[in-house]
Amino acid sequence: MLNSKNMTSNYQKIINSIGVMLLSVFVLVGCVNSKPPVTAGTGTSSMVQGDDFSKHLEVHNTELATKLFISDVKSRKSNDLLEINLTLTSRYKKSQNLQFHFNWFDEEGFIVEPAKTPWKTIKLHGQQSITLRGLAPNTKVNNFSVYVRDIPEKAYRY
Amino acid sequence: MNKLALVTTLGLTLVFAAGCANKSVVRYGDATAVETTDINFGSTDLQKVASEMTDSLLLSPVVGTLTQNTRPVMFVERLKNKTSEHIDTESITDSISTKLLRSGKFRFVDMGRVEAAREQLKFQHDGGMVDPNKALQFGRQIGAQYMLYGNLSSIVKSNKDKSDVYYKFTLRLMDLESGLVEWADETEIRKTKAKESVGW
Repeated sequence: MLNSKNMTSNYQKIINSIGVMLLSVFVLVGCVNSKPPVTAGTGTSSMVQGDDFSKHLEVHNTELATKLFISDVKSRKSNDLLEINLTLTSRYKKSQNLQFHFNWFDEEGFIVEPAKTPWKTIKLHGQQSITLRGLAPNTKVNNFSVYVRDIPEKAYRY
Repeated sequence: MNKLALVTTLGLTLVFAAGCANKSVVRYGDATAVETTDINFGSTDLQKVASEMTDSLLLSPVVGTLTQNTRPVMFVERLKNKTSEHIDTESITDSISTKLLRSGKFRFVDMGRVEAAREQLKFQHDGGMVDPNKALQFGRQIGAQYMLYGNLSSIVKSNKDKSDVYYKFTLRLMDLESGLVEWADETEIRKTKAKESVGW
């Protein structure tokens, strides 16, 4: 009698723990995907051709900034169009999937062709250093800014 | 007591499960952000191809000489889609020609609208509605000097845990008078899809 009572309470304990496990699984799986991804990154503010880029560097995501750094932002006019080169160096041993984007401004600081320059993908291998290139969409462009951020890879429900 | 705990647990589970169940939500996204929904040719690939080709063309020294004092007239022949997918190649050529036109370095004639232009000129001359002195003249259009054309091809490979797709896009600029290819470039895209263990 005592034995069977013990067994029932054991069963109940098992069922209870399964319930708790199910609950935690539902909470974790069901809700984890609906968080918006981190889209802050690192980049420069608007700078004119020939400016010292270190004055314009902006870090909005310190976690990303520990894994990579931007250096050596150079610009010149080729075929009357502003051409930008910048070096992106990984400080991290694993590969990183990143996207970068240029904004273009004219002499008075007005945005040129807003929201038309696409984000481009880069696969940055561990400790790799690569040079990115940007070309102004037309000859009026004089200022620019650049921004680098992660590609959100975890499924995010849009 | 135990029963109560069980019922509460199950109840809470249901509540949470229902709360997190497939709610469909509509949001505006960023049209230029990187999109990784699946491995097929997507908006990011189209934007990458168009912007890299335009940048390369505008930066090439040959084009620098061609566009020094004039804005050469071009036309876009269609792109050949040699991939295994259905891809709207006109959309890629539209993006490229729009970017080139907006750069202020080139002018374009649109071969896709020749009939519509002819209809309009015919109407102006024969319709009896337009003042004959103000009707536009036939035979005044400017012919294209250069032709843009290209190919899009792909190599697709997959095994049970991984698929890999490689796209190669080639674009060429031909001088129609001499038949010389003045500029050519290609851009490549590699995309992989692999199963990953669930992680947070």
